[in-house]
Amino acid sequence: MAIKLRVSGVGKDYLIPIIESVSFSVEAGEFVCLLGPNGCGKTTLLRIIGGIEPATRGAVLLDDRPVVAGDPHSRKVGVVFQEDRLLPWMTLAENVALVLKPLGLPAAERRTITRRHLGLAGLAGFEDYYPGRVSGGMRQRAAIARALAIEPDVLLMDEPFGALDAQNRRIMQNEVRRIWKETGRTILFVTHSIEEAVAIGTTLVMMSARPSRIRELIRNDGRSERAKLIDDLNTMIMEEVERQQGGAPS
Amino acid sequence: MSERDLATRLHLPTLGATAVIVAVWSLLSWRYGAYVLPSPLSVVRGFGEILATGEVWKHTGASLYRILVGFGGAVAIALLMGLASFLSSRARSVVHDFLAILNATSVFVWIVISIIWFGLSNWAPIFTTFMITLPVVASNIVEGVENVDRRLLEMGDVYRLPGREKFRAIVIPSTLPYLVAGMKIGFGLALKVSVVAEIFGVTSGIGYIMNYSREILATQMVFVWALVMILVMMVTDKLVFDSISRRLARWR
Repeated sequence: MAIKLRVSGVGKDYLIPIIESVSFSVEAGEFVCLLGPNGCGKTTLLRIIGGIEPATRGAVLLDDRPVVAGDPHSRKVGVVFQEDRLLPWMTLAENVALVLKPLGLPAAERRTITRRHLGLAGLAGFEDYYPGRVSGGMRQRAAIARALAIEPDVLLMDEPFGALDAQNRRIMQNEVRRIWKETGRTILFVTHSIEEAVAIGTTLVMMSARPSRIRELIRNDGRSERAKLIDDLNTMIMEEVERQQGGAPS
Repeated sequence: MSERDLATRLHLPTLGATAVIVAVWSLLSWRYGAYVLPSPLSVVRGFGEILATGEVWKHTGASLYRILVGFGGAVAIALLMGLASFLSSRARSVVHDFLAILNATSVFVWIVISIIWFGLSNWAPIFTTFMITLPVVASNIVEGVENVDRRLLEMGDVYRLPGREKFRAIVIPSTLPYLVAGMKIGFGLALKVSVVAEIFGVTSGIGYIMNYSREILATQMVFVWALVMILVMMVTDKLVFDSISRRLARWR
């Protein structure tokens, strides 16, 4: 398989160093889950990969071309944020169609693509609803439909189900997994839930406490037993949380 | 609907209080005489008169024309200020400082200056209205521009929306409620201010005719024109601004 995304030596300092150095590569069609203790820079890393903010060190290569913050990359990147970030004054269909405009497609084609992706996200029949009139889960699905509609080379998802209750979360995990299988996109998925990562990711990247590095990179190919994997990851994350809090186990 | 809700909807408490006030007003009018306080009946009769002669339209029209020019100009300039402060943070701080100065300036300053500059012409009340409503409308628009959700703009960047598309799809819709609120307050202020400015130098308008009525000792007409002002205010609020607000809120 071809390497889609290469993260090499990426680091980020704000007032303090957040990410020390992170390197990994992602093959086309992989579903990568980024895990780690709170505040270890998972979201920051995702934003750097998406070209939303610059890295302090290192480089991100998407199809061998560097990602530069503020400078549009020749490849398309779809982002699903923690919040849905839909425009409340536009219907779900208008929200999706909006991001198709810069692609220079004719209006009729934009409509077709919009309908298809809203349908794929289980929102057929809700195209003309305003975001305020549908549930949080449906809004987040519309945001996913928007990200997929541009047919992104890489789909970045930043704890997209954080605001959902357990039941909706389970449903959405299955949906995303299904959409991933149907579309074969490359996905980078940030989560703080180990169960979620093990349930949907093909590759799990466990980050260490701040300033973070990669602690472990695990292929989740179903060969290792799921329960044991969750246990191991839980142990790792607890160790990292303790380290971040100054190392004194309470 | 309970009896209580119905009573509130019909403004029954307000009507009751009004009845008490009218009664006290009649008593006081009888005690102090029509020059100081004309009776409610004479005010109603005066209102009927100006309706019959059409005088009400002449002066209300003159006042509204000045308001529309002065206030309309203020809205136009305020929009430009909002645009500038969206495009550049340096422009934003300049706009901020200027609005602070304008906000701190009294109506009377502009009335006196406008008489010096424009003499006894239509432009005096227009200019005064412009200078007084500009900071109110502009402050609202600038605040709206500053309150545009950065996260939505970031979404626009991620999906590579061009600048004008971000402006059309994100900035304008999120600023509109601020603009409408500013225009609503600004229009009320414009009506109140232009009437004061009309006392000096012009020969039409609600302010002029109120002052004239006072001079010819027709106190009841002062009350009548005050009533006209209140009606104009309430009608524009209901017909114009409420329907715009409703239309804006259709997605809520």
